[in-house]
Amino acid sequence: MALLQISEPGQSTKPHEHKFAVGIDLGTTNSLVASVRSGKADTLPDHAGQHILPSVVQYMADKIIVGHEAKQHQVDDTENTISSVKRLMGRGVEDLKTLGDQLPYLFAETDSTVPRINTAAGEKSAIEVSADILKVLKLRGEQTLGDKLEGAVITVPAYFDDAQRQATKDAATLAGLNVLRLINEPTAAAVAYGLDSGAEGVVAVYDLGGGTFDISIMQLKQGVFEVLSTGGDSALGGDDFDHAIAEWIIQQAGLDANQLTQSVLRQVLREACSAKESLSDVASTTISIDFSSDNQWQGELDRDTLNELIDPLIKKTLLSCRRALRDAEIEKDQVMDVVMVGGSTRALRVRELVGEFFEAQPKIDIDPDKVVAIGAAIQANALVGNDKDGNLLLMDVLPLSLGLETMGGLAEKIIGRNTPIPVTRAQDFTTYKDGQTAMAIHIVQGERELVDDCRSLARFELRGFPPHVAGAARIRVTFQVDADGLLSVSAREETSGIEASVEVKPSYGLSDSEIETMLKASLEFAGEDKDARSLREQQVEADRVLEAIDSALADDGEEMLSKDERAIIMTARSKLAESRHTANDTQTLKDAMKNLEKASAEYVARRMNASVQKTMAGHKVEEFNSDQD
Amino acid sequence: MSDSILTQNYFEIFSLAISTEVDIKQLQQTNRELQQQYHPDKFASASDVDKRRAMQITSLLNQAFNTLKEPVLRLQYMLSLKGVDMNAETDTSMDGAFLMEQMELREAIADVRQKTDPLAVLDDMSRQLKKRLASLVEEFKQYYQQDELEKSREVVRKCQFINKAQKEVSEITEQLEDELI
Repeated sequence: MALLQISEPGQSTKPHEHKFAVGIDLGTTNSLVASVRSGKADTLPDHAGQHILPSVVQYMADKIIVGHEAKQHQVDDTENTISSVKRLMGRGVEDLKTLGDQLPYLFAETDSTVPRINTAAGEKSAIEVSADILKVLKLRGEQTLGDKLEGAVITVPAYFDDAQRQATKDAATLAGLNVLRLINEPTAAAVAYGLDSGAEGVVAVYDLGGGTFDISIMQLKQGVFEVLSTGGDSALGGDDFDHAIAEWIIQQAGLDANQLTQSVLRQVLREACSAKESLSDVASTTISIDFSSDNQWQGELDRDTLNELIDPLIKKTLLSCRRALRDAEIEKDQVMDVVMVGGSTRALRVRELVGEFFEAQPKIDIDPDKVVAIGAAIQANALVGNDKDGNLLLMDVLPLSLGLETMGGLAEKIIGRNTPIPVTRAQDFTTYKDGQTAMAIHIVQGERELVDDCRSLARFELRGFPPHVAGAARIRVTFQVDADGLLSVSAREETSGIEASVEVKPSYGLSDSEIETMLKASLEFAGEDKDARSLREQQVEADRVLEAIDSALADDGEEMLSKDERAIIMTARSKLAESRHTANDTQTLKDAMKNLEKASAEYVARRMNASVQKTMAGHKVEEFNSDQD
Repeated sequence: MSDSILTQNYFEIFSLAISTEVDIKQLQQTNRELQQQYHPDKFASASDVDKRRAMQITSLLNQAFNTLKEPVLRLQYMLSLKGVDMNAETDTSMDGAFLMEQMELREAIADVRQKTDPLAVLDDMSRQLKKRLASLVEEFKQYYQQDELEKSREVVRKCQFINKAQKEVSEITEQLEDELI
């Protein structure tokens, strides 16, 4: 229902008012919320004056605790206190095999493809945990700004695949946030940095967070931030430094990690982390750990040993840097500045090796913890229209190639990595058997040749097209990636016009019904005042839906719909217009909107199709690889 | 929002003459200006119709930019403007000497690991391929001007071979560099 999906809940009806929007950095270790106030972007503190919200959630039977307080309970309530959940975003049950050993949680046995963690408050998916973090930041934003939020820009690692992006968007929806845009963390950092310094040229953003690493090569010119290439590792970060140090501690103590309890392991990790942090200031530090009442261990960790432990990890990041430079067709000496982002770039060794690699002094002017949230806030402010004269524009790219499974389990790339987005691209396929009337479409993301080595995003089937001899049917598969980097795919058998399409709700995301159920559950706890507000929101949404359908009908209603089809849509439209003014409850309005959405579903599909075809008309050579008619 | 851009050819979109040579700096500059005008972010609170049009136009801009930026894609596109399709199954056999040269090159790429300084050899190959491509582009230009479309098409097929070899060279370079670290 793309046509009717554009409504933005909470839209103010007074267009000239300053609108409140926030930027949110939803990090592996820490999260922040920022906003532009009086022309200046800054992060927002909580009541105690703390800007950073640790991305830790403790689930108790009767309440949910988020942030600093939850972090205190990581050791004494390990199983119910969830941290680094970002690593699980968009991941499937089978991914736990590679991630599981680092995660001390009890995973529920489930039929769902999404892993769920057993807690005292029930089973929780990564999306729900992230939503609980986002709710706290949303509330902080509302309380600080004194009004409800128009929307939020949420940052994701540039290297996040479609499933991980979709999961992030779902978490925001679940938290009741209107997502203006998902933007890449390095891009956000470049915005904060670039607008601050006014510099123009090529910039490398090196972003090493708790659990993810990103490198982006960007061109800054006249307010335009153009991403030339991006790379990284969605499962490498400062947490891995901690793990390396923890392993060293356990080895030094002559113990076996497999025989330690989760709670002791947590304690070791915590000590490893604080040792790492203090070595940024001092040359050597003492670590002491109580493995048990009769086994206390104490040892000395100096910088040289630390460097030996973390160098292999940092070198891995430099490999990505080199690849990103090559993809951007940029030589090291063309890089004007290297911007350091993420808490893990506080480690001196990281700065040293990155500086050596780029042959430049890394920039650390803006607090590396806050820079991403600040950039996101600036973009949010521009997107809601508060910065009308500004020329800020982000031109981003697709981080990982998108493709289809073809014969023999091979992945055929349709859109290559580092292609600027938004992008629409089509490719023709044919049948391989005589009389074949259906085709399975399997969408994958990644750089590898074999489908099994790529991430599976979605599968769907195109059925019921007329039988042809092998090779005669022409199935055109169209990929569309929007400005958030999210994919939708449609397929059409050209000789018969049979179509099928999917919004790529990945195999690892939550289904729409799962999200709806969660949303309902969270709404049940809402009080009376929220009802009034939600009615108001639904009314605004209804206005938008009406506006959208009217404008679409005026545009091409005559040519795309028969008289009868128009009449059906118009009836549904009148019902909604009436409910808009008379209904006192949100459900009636929602039903009326749903009704109109249903009535116009076919119309929406035709319009999408027409617009895709229009985009492709006239340029069908290399990009479509098609046989010409 | 103006839709006329949707009916223009890629060169027209960027106000460029149809040519094998494109001033990349100018192309980038025009692209930035057009993106400022049409990017979906500029329509974040516009109507649904405008939003979708922004997405549609920006997708086209990105496609057009990419095509004109890459030399071989640019040539292919120039042919398509004259109704010549690179993918039609009417390919005649390739020039034998060229195929021989390509086969030798592929063998050299495959054997590069045995060399004492494989990275230097690869760098040299890459330079040679770039030169070869440049001369093919020149050749194309002559044929295209004379409306010798079948010959132009033949040149583009050669360019595609060169591109593929160039890609192999950079992939092996990447692998070798990875192993060295």
